[in-house]
Amino acid sequence: MKMTSHLAAIGLLACAAGSALAQARTEITLARFFGSCEADYGKSIDVKAARGECGIITTLVNKFNATNKDNIVVKPQIVEWGPYYDQLTARIVARDVPTIAVMHESSLGDFVHRKLIEPMDDSFKSVGIDTAQFSDQARAGTSFSGKTYALPFDTHAWLWHFNLNLMKKAGLTKPDGSPVIPGSPEELFAQARQFKQATGKPYFAWQTVNSSASYMRTFLTLLYQQNGAKLFTDGAKPRIDMKSPQATKALKLMNQIYSEGLVMTGLDYGPSNQAFVNGEVGVVVVGTWKIDDFVAQAEKADTPLAKGYAVYPFPQLFDQKAVCADGHSWVMLKGGAKDEASRKAALAFLKFIWDNDVEWARTGHLPISKLTLSSPGFKALPMRSNIAEISASGRGIPLSIPRQRAIQIAVDQEIGNMLTSKKSLKDMQNAAETRVNKLLDSVR
Amino acid sequence: MKAVADHGHGRVHGARWSNALFIAPFLAVYLALLVAPLVRGMWTSLQDLDMLSQTSEFVGLKNFADLWGDEIFMGSVRNTFCFVLMSTPVFVVLGLALALALNRPGRTGAVLRAIFFGSSVLSVTIVTLVWKLVLMPHHGLLANLANAAGLPGFSPLTSEAWALPTIAAVTVWWIIGLPMMLFLAALQQVPGEVYEAAALDNSSRWRTLVHITLPAIRRTVVLVAVIEVILQFQVFGQAQLLTQGGPNNSSRPVVQFIYESGFTHWTLGNAAAASQVLLGIMLVAMALQMWVSGRKEAF
Repeated sequence: MKMTSHLAAIGLLACAAGSALAQARTEITLARFFGSCEADYGKSIDVKAARGECGIITTLVNKFNATNKDNIVVKPQIVEWGPYYDQLTARIVARDVPTIAVMHESSLGDFVHRKLIEPMDDSFKSVGIDTAQFSDQARAGTSFSGKTYALPFDTHAWLWHFNLNLMKKAGLTKPDGSPVIPGSPEELFAQARQFKQATGKPYFAWQTVNSSASYMRTFLTLLYQQNGAKLFTDGAKPRIDMKSPQATKALKLMNQIYSEGLVMTGLDYGPSNQAFVNGEVGVVVVGTWKIDDFVAQAEKADTPLAKGYAVYPFPQLFDQKAVCADGHSWVMLKGGAKDEASRKAALAFLKFIWDNDVEWARTGHLPISKLTLSSPGFKALPMRSNIAEISASGRGIPLSIPRQRAIQIAVDQEIGNMLTSKKSLKDMQNAAETRVNKLLDSVR
Repeated sequence: MKAVADHGHGRVHGARWSNALFIAPFLAVYLALLVAPLVRGMWTSLQDLDMLSQTSEFVGLKNFADLWGDEIFMGSVRNTFCFVLMSTPVFVVLGLALALALNRPGRTGAVLRAIFFGSSVLSVTIVTLVWKLVLMPHHGLLANLANAAGLPGFSPLTSEAWALPTIAAVTVWWIIGLPMMLFLAALQQVPGEVYEAAALDNSSRWRTLVHITLPAIRRTVVLVAVIEVILQFQVFGQAQLLTQGGPNNSSRPVVQFIYESGFTHWTLGNAAAASQVLLGIMLVAMALQMWVSGRKEAF
């Protein structure tokens, strides 16, 4: 009898302990893009072994889930980048708000002005995230009226990725093996024609089909490289100016590059990068996020990119150095954390992300912590010295301009219409202005 | 006597009200999920409504006036009409042709019917993925075939002239199974004796088709045409996933415009107004179709 009651007591105790554990478990959701790679990294917590954006963010989340002491479980909700913001909008309206969501710094303003995100300074301080350590670019990208609204994740920018094996074949490498980089539109055309003549391949690949950002990034880069360039008028009701001499010059240059057949045509995002990896072009114009993937390709023997990869910021072709830049950040939208436990769990995860800044920098993005930027770990990463200048030359659309994502899509589509559908420059400029100004008018 | 009559009268009334209960569940769902959103959509189309903040202001017919002056919207209306005109006749003619060819007993017919219907069970994502691989420039099946034949590469999805017809062709490939099945069901309802009589009269195949089969399945022809017009006016997924409406707005349908206006631009009033225009166009098209088929019947 005594034995039976002891067993019953142990059983009850075990049930109570189990129940307490179950109660203490806090699940939070993490809405993000960066791709899905469960087959490769679904269960891995080895962040150092992960490659590329998808691998690193997946293993970071896995590691946090496996190692945090507070029984917090982060559940990723992965969406493709294209429709990500459309889905996020629908979720906010349907009150199905994720606890944490990734967001481009260029999109933050729309959510901040609608009071869907609250200042995070005190919350960051409570978990030991020192906002004073944010890089200047990260601080500018996540602050409005002196208050911080998001945890910056990276600074990313527009680059030229070179296939050095093909560049060498075309006689476009220096004695030290680095590529010959054009310093003016004339040099660009001369080198691209030389490349095509020597290799029979187009110099460039970039996304020319179903693009929603690539044309705009090239356009902004070429625009900002010119003295006095300004895309929007000042004032409470800004207007886009696509007809300024600087904008016209940038658009004409893009048009000439395309119409001369220096760009591989008909490629959307994946195939344009694949064409580069397959050795079908000399240069792919894409962002920092592809660096680690291309480095991994270059490490493989017997590939067209083997030991022949280099990356540099979009070259200075006009008056000054400038390159289109933006940043990813993490936000806690209103209504996302259902209770105090979820809020604390979300902040614990953000602290973990902050502490692992250097891991994310392995993707190719620039880190957002001053400490990481000056750390030996970051400096030891391949080719980072080539792109370090981005932290000074990176520029995006001013944060005061609303509806940046929609503006980017509209201008991008119109530039695409000019290049691939032969819409005249004037018609394209008029159409882009009409579409963007209509968007700006819709802002309440 | 009077009491009995009153009693009987009351019972009749009671029975009528209780009958209404049978349709009440349907009516409730219909009102809640169709009529109420329709009315709300109409009201929304008169507002300047920000999707994200849900703040609004009554603007009357301004959204409709904006649509009238919007080149992208007018282009999307034009594209949608072209798409319906390209796809619906093909659905009717090809669906009927397949049904006539496969309206036979035996294993071969059954296997072919399953194959032609098979693609209908795929989602739009799978269908567009498959066709993207076929149509991919430089390395797709079409490009490889062109290369093998020594022809220059052709990329229909990046051509203004070919993008919309290509989406129509993909759509026909995808869902030709439903019209085929409807026609098959109709063909199997035609009494065999009529065909026997025609055969005894030495009637040709063409005469049999024109004078027996087609009149017998006239209602199904109208049904398929009506169903396809309704469905194809709402084309969206294929265009969004294959071309995103490009190049140069040559393949953007109205539903994609509505989606972009609501979810990407956050101008929900504008999106609702475009939805009302689409509804109006569809109602007119349906009425026209019914009127034409009614006139034919009168003859």
